[in-house]
Amino acid sequence: MSIQRQEIEAIREGFSKSGYICNTHIATAIFLAQKLQKPILVEGPPGVGKTELAKATAEFLSLPLIRLQCYEGLDESKALYEWKYGKQLLYTQVLKEKLGDLMEGAEGLTESLARLHDFDDTFFSEDFLEPRPLLKALWEENGSVLLIDEIDKSDDEFEAFLLELLSDYQISIPELGTIKARSAPIVFLTSNNSRELGDALKRRCIHLYIPFPESELEQKIIAARVPEIDEGLRKQLVAFVQGLRGEDLKKHPAVSETIDWARTLLLLHANELDADLVRNTLNILLKFQDDIENIDGELNALVSKARGA
Amino acid sequence: MTQMLGNFIRALRASDVRVSISESIDAGRTAELVGFEDREILKSALSQVLAKTDEEEFAFNSVFDRYFSFEKIRSPAANDGAPEDENQDDNASDNTSEEDDSSESDESESQGQGGPPGSGGGAGGQSEKSENASEQEAQASPDLLELLERGDTAALQQALAEAGQNARIDRIRLFTQRGMYVRRIMEDMGLEGLEMEIERATDKDEDRVVYIRGLRDGLREQVRDYVERQLDLYTANAGQQLREEVLSRVRLTNVDRRDMRLMQGLVRKMAKRLVALNSRRRKKDIRGALNFRKTIRRNIAHDGIMFDIHWKQKKIDRPKLVAICDVSGSVSSYAHFLLMFLYSLQEVLPKVRAFAFSGELGEVTDLFKTQDLETAIGETLKIYGSGSTDYGRAFEELERTVLDDIDHRTTVIILGDGRSNNADPRADILKVVHARAKRVLWLNPEPKSMWGTGDSEMKSLAAYCDSAATCTSLKDLERVVSDILRKG
Repeated sequence: MSIQRQEIEAIREGFSKSGYICNTHIATAIFLAQKLQKPILVEGPPGVGKTELAKATAEFLSLPLIRLQCYEGLDESKALYEWKYGKQLLYTQVLKEKLGDLMEGAEGLTESLARLHDFDDTFFSEDFLEPRPLLKALWEENGSVLLIDEIDKSDDEFEAFLLELLSDYQISIPELGTIKARSAPIVFLTSNNSRELGDALKRRCIHLYIPFPESELEQKIIAARVPEIDEGLRKQLVAFVQGLRGEDLKKHPAVSETIDWARTLLLLHANELDADLVRNTLNILLKFQDDIENIDGELNALVSKARGA
Repeated sequence: MTQMLGNFIRALRASDVRVSISESIDAGRTAELVGFEDREILKSALSQVLAKTDEEEFAFNSVFDRYFSFEKIRSPAANDGAPEDENQDDNASDNTSEEDDSSESDESESQGQGGPPGSGGGAGGQSEKSENASEQEAQASPDLLELLERGDTAALQQALAEAGQNARIDRIRLFTQRGMYVRRIMEDMGLEGLEMEIERATDKDEDRVVYIRGLRDGLREQVRDYVERQLDLYTANAGQQLREEVLSRVRLTNVDRRDMRLMQGLVRKMAKRLVALNSRRRKKDIRGALNFRKTIRRNIAHDGIMFDIHWKQKKIDRPKLVAICDVSGSVSSYAHFLLMFLYSLQEVLPKVRAFAFSGELGEVTDLFKTQDLETAIGETLKIYGSGSTDYGRAFEELERTVLDDIDHRTTVIILGDGRSNNADPRADILKVVHARAKRVLWLNPEPKSMWGTGDSEMKSLAAYCDSAATCTSLKDLERVVSDILRKG
């Protein structure tokens, strides 16, 4: 086993200790991101653990997780920094009163101005800066994990604005100049593909696509997340969910739904799947009434197939 | 290593994976980092760095398997055989300036790897070749014969790969080049020596002659296979790209039936590109709710006096579209493509209403929403395509059913040749439409010089169009539609 593989396996095991079960492909991405110091763009259907991956990484590396949720209209004042206007105004008031004292003894306009100039920059210094997630991540002394969630929901302009941060780990604040990261953060961007991301952004990132997990992996995930559940039932329920993903549905059940369902079955003290039980709890797995109605006809077949697994 | 990766990236590009320079640098660093020993990890790692969409990942997987499966055979001996190449820098630049295959002259210096100096390189340099061959005769030929006799496939594969690299097989572009490459590789591997051996044995030992000939032909077979595979690898999509390029310029009426499928893919591709370009066109409104924070922030420089006011509202501008297609025999193939195009664009243009007419006018919007494209188009042509064209009747119908729905946001596209079979075209209705709609565009497959001749009413109809243009190829169509999206 090569050294690289050992390192990657170590990441995978570290993740599984904190309850995030993944395959080598995902662990490789984390390994690369650390070594190449590049952000990871995580894509995949909703509910496969894109956000969880960032959380697990933060836990594994014991770094603080800083999260920025994107939405339409998000701008730099919410993502990067804001000036503390109230404080600035208050200080101006205070300064006004002190202005007389300050100017005492100053001869002529030039000298007064020179004295004022000494105060100029105080208003736009770090004391008056309110850091938002991105700036916070750059300011962390020992590095951090920065999660930029659902980047596809943000506007084009914001995406473009991120480019400087993603490639050089620095940002520009007009009043202060360029701020460099004290220690490069590990950046995760997640996307549900609600719109095509720009090439420039993709080029700067390691691209990781997380699909629905295969049966074996999903069983491991359930075993880690819902350890109380009986092994036989676990096999059946995973087989059933895997079967559902083969059907034509508006929205296929994701891992998070499988976990919820496993917890539900546990609560109901179920020992094995049967059609009635599934029918009654199907709304945990399927989120559209259309889907539930469509699948009803095939429910018996799916259940018996899952029981055979 | 770098050479190998460079060729791999070139093969990827040939399969439609877009790899930028910075990404190929990343790939180099990644390969260095994870090493070549563990295939699975190498594959994962490279795919994450190089493939950025689903389709690209798919292409990546197939190229990776084809490319590195071969590398695997030769790997046991490759490490001590080929010296690590010193001119990495050359190779790095080599990867980037790759578009042109004819630039062999500047390439020959960057191939220090493996084989004897001066081999390969020149495309037609006959003198160079003979010199090269004679040089090899001394060393390579006994090896080759020996290898063949021993049946040492691993060593043969390695020799083949080296010869392939010396012959710059990665530059192969056309299938007609196969013969040349086969010859070049054979020569590089020491064909001359084999021939000499045959000659030497000719009079003395007929059996041996036959034997060696058999070996030689077997080898040629293998080399040909190898060249085929490489051709496949490096030119995977080149043929298709060329055809697509040609097709997009060809007159739509002249598109062959057998190219229809390709054409459909092409239309979809163009539509997707337009969607990507325009999916989030929006403009800031100049009234609405005040964006207080932003306003304060912007005006702090003015001591809080509000010079520069910002509003919260943003308007997403999405045009409404009414498409009216003449589907009578003469223009039906154009209508075919226009409809195809518009429906591929539904993501950006949610409000498309499509009408078809020859005599009778009817709405086909629902048909296209429920049926797949082919069926819908076939159906449309069947229902509306039979009558003789009558613009007057069609416009009357239009006035009755759709006019209320046309407003200042609507763009009306009319596709037709404007030949109304001498019936009154009712230009007055078009005038009303023009007054209400944002824009009226007329696409005419006939060239401008034909307008107004015979029963063509284009002259009078064009007066009420914001723009009337000739539209004969997919490129034209794309231009018009992109224009609509841009101007909203």
